[in-house]
Amino acid sequence: MHAMPADAAAAPLLSLYQIDKTFPNGTVALRGVDFQAYAGRVHGLLGANGAGKSTLIKVLAGSIPASGGRLVWKGKEAAFSAPVEANRAGIATIHQHIPLVRTLSVLENVFLGSTGRWRRNRADRDRFAELCEEVGYAVDPDAMVGDLSIGTRQMVCVFQALQLGADLIVMDEPTASLAQGERELVYKTVQRLAKQGKGIVFVSHFLDEVVLLTDELTVLRDGRTVMHAETAEVQESDIAEAIAGKTVGTLEHLRKDRGTVREKVVLECRDLASPGKLAPTNLTLRAGEVIGIAGLMGSGRSELLHAVYGSDRQATGDVLFGGRKMPRNPATSVRAGMALVAEDRNLQGIVPVFEIWRNMTLPHLDDTAAGGLLTRRRVELERAQEGIRKLSIKADSPHVMVTELSGGNAQKVTVAKWLFGDVTLMLLDEPTAGIDVGAKADILALVRRLASEGMAVIFVSSEFEELLAVSDRILVMRDGAVVAERAAAETDDQQLILLSGGTG
Amino acid sequence: MSAIESQITGPKAPGESNRSDDAATAVTTTTPDWRRHFGLREAGVYYALILLMIVLWVVTYSLGRPNYFSATNLTNILYQASLIGLMGVAMTVVLITGNFDLSVASVAALGAAITVGLAGELGFWPAAAVALAACTCVGVLNGTIVQVVGINAFIVTLGTLTAIRGLVLILTDGRSLLVGSPDARAQMVAFEGGRVPVQTSLIVLGIVLLLAFAYVAFRRRTAGQPVPLFAIGGTIGALFILAIAFLGGPDLSVAKPVIYTAIYALLIWFVLSFTTVGRRVYAVGGNAEAARLSGINVARYKMAGFMLSSATAGFAGILFGSRLGAVNPTALQGAELTVIATAILGGTSLFGGAGSVIKTLVGALLLFTLTNGFNILNLGANYQGVIEGTVVVAAAAIYTVGGSRKAKKGA
Repeated sequence: MHAMPADAAAAPLLSLYQIDKTFPNGTVALRGVDFQAYAGRVHGLLGANGAGKSTLIKVLAGSIPASGGRLVWKGKEAAFSAPVEANRAGIATIHQHIPLVRTLSVLENVFLGSTGRWRRNRADRDRFAELCEEVGYAVDPDAMVGDLSIGTRQMVCVFQALQLGADLIVMDEPTASLAQGERELVYKTVQRLAKQGKGIVFVSHFLDEVVLLTDELTVLRDGRTVMHAETAEVQESDIAEAIAGKTVGTLEHLRKDRGTVREKVVLECRDLASPGKLAPTNLTLRAGEVIGIAGLMGSGRSELLHAVYGSDRQATGDVLFGGRKMPRNPATSVRAGMALVAEDRNLQGIVPVFEIWRNMTLPHLDDTAAGGLLTRRRVELERAQEGIRKLSIKADSPHVMVTELSGGNAQKVTVAKWLFGDVTLMLLDEPTAGIDVGAKADILALVRRLASEGMAVIFVSSEFEELLAVSDRILVMRDGAVVAERAAAETDDQQLILLSGGTG
Repeated sequence: MSAIESQITGPKAPGESNRSDDAATAVTTTTPDWRRHFGLREAGVYYALILLMIVLWVVTYSLGRPNYFSATNLTNILYQASLIGLMGVAMTVVLITGNFDLSVASVAALGAAITVGLAGELGFWPAAAVALAACTCVGVLNGTIVQVVGINAFIVTLGTLTAIRGLVLILTDGRSLLVGSPDARAQMVAFEGGRVPVQTSLIVLGIVLLLAFAYVAFRRRTAGQPVPLFAIGGTIGALFILAIAFLGGPDLSVAKPVIYTAIYALLIWFVLSFTTVGRRVYAVGGNAEAARLSGINVARYKMAGFMLSSATAGFAGILFGSRLGAVNPTALQGAELTVIATAILGGTSLFGGAGSVIKTLVGALLLFTLTNGFNILNLGANYQGVIEGTVVVAAAAIYTVGGSRKAKKGA
């Protein structure tokens, strides 16, 4: 039923046969999935949020046992009951949320699992130098992991995996939160590792990088394999169709909805700056206008949003919102009608101890309460239900805990919670990072709809294609300053990459 | 890897990857999950208290001792637990906001010392007001250092624990203080001492609660919605209150501090459960950054938690000082740990975002029932610490393991 890989003569490193996974609550995550990974090949694993990718990865990493099926590792039947067993056997998994100890050095993190007696030793240091050589990327072994960029941390994870002597490296959306330049680094590393004979399983939402990097690919949908093919033999549109289960419209149609910019100035920033993070910035945003912010990670994109929102207390300069000078206080900003969807969903977006409904009503809780004081559960539940419907959040009811939602659906909750108050300015910081094609399209369409209703939006994204689709104007940021401004209709991917990449 | 991962993310900010195992056990129906709500983790402290009381009753009965379930004995336990319970309620709020307050016992001692020390000159009520104000100031100090300077609450309040105790020593000059003025003493006795007959009020309270919760349940039912948990729990509680009222008879009476504690706990329970303020308290503890970016004034809520805790401790101190009309400088030393233990027994999370004042009160009752049992059975007081410590750790173990066991079994 599957296309055979080109070098089918070689036995696969890892084979999964008819893997099933049913969770105790009855959720069926995997239904008879076959999967092979070969040495020296990159196998792409794709699927929408909730399609079963994460579950499959967890099964092969030994985090959770399968309910049925067989796992064959290097020709022998195996069952990993803990991640450490899979590690010992030679499978390393690099998780999306990077599990490093922030207070230890790079070197100590890389050798965290090793059993040497001394905290510092020569051998580790030499081995680390070898690893750098092997990967073709150098990082200061004594740097504190907490000080590194996310991209560099990802590389530390790669080192960790190699140090364990892994033959198969599973990468769970390694580029989801990386800017373009850092992605290149991951791509190079993947290619280099494959060349050295490592097997790679590469999970991603980005079709372009899957096409670029992988030798073969598997698409999951609703826990089933719906496509398994040699990458060279399929079209990007076929993959997208397999993921979505229907033909997805491109982002093109969003562009037609433009032209909603009105006269009324919603936001004016005068010399808005933040020491060490943001150079003085002037900005005028009108009702119905969407400004896209293009820039690499660390270019000051998030810092600009936080300065506008008032959550950066060190900021200087003026923020005039609806003609009124704003104090630096998010509480005032929210009351005045600003909304911020922050970059880090887990740390800044959701309250993990709350259900969907309590998260959904948090910013404008007073509106739902009697006299602004006594909470009214029924009103809140209705609101949550409406949010779930508006953004097609996949959840059985508003009572589901947000932590039980998949990443994309949790992200939708962080957006949906702002849809009920009197919001006139929406600040979105990478609202589509790490979420699937369908959810992404939902959010982008929502942004355009809100703009057409007169909302002003600042939209930060690492994906320039999205910015082009959704924005009226695009500001390019580099090193904490706005370096260029383009009308979205008059620019393209290429130009934005060049502008933000820092060649000029 | 997942071990490292959970170590880093911790219970406060669960990464998705280590949470989806929990997702497996999630029951995503619209009706409340009864098995969870009545499971050990959620309701364990009630079961523990009931079990302990039954055991004590059986043992005392078989040993031919006086009836354990006598009104005198039970109301005694309530009285003994009242001060700790009072402080436990406020501690629960502090813990929910994600902070910690070790200074409560010292602050209570300060409150007692000021009350007793000034009652002679100023009269009882002005002295109590000064005490309350001074104690609230300690809360402001704690909150300011924690919020503005950014030092961990554990360390800050460890400091104030020591410093305030020192202040008490200075104020009392290291000796016991006594209230000299008979007028002030009489006011203290009127405030703290004496018993209040409660049968009528209990019956009224029970019936009112029963009707209120029955009304809520009825309205939800007719609207086709699930009956909320608080209505069920409240109905059980109301029936319990009525049962006590009838069993206790017309002579049933409790000490005044018990009344104060009950009213205070009901008030805080109401605020936490049914107001926007309460919701925000939980949000602030659940994820301070998300709460801040949702427009909640996080610093204000955390500060309010400290102020509430210290003011409550001050009130407990006033009651304590009034009890004997005297205070010695080492009064209530070590009580802060008992207060925290009651909150833990009640299932309050030390990481913030979760906790219930009612369960904290039950936790306090559990601890004092245990102490009472030791006394009644004439067991050596030497063993008491060992048993109490074991109970606290066992409770914490149940809360921790009870939450994850199902996931392991299912996986």
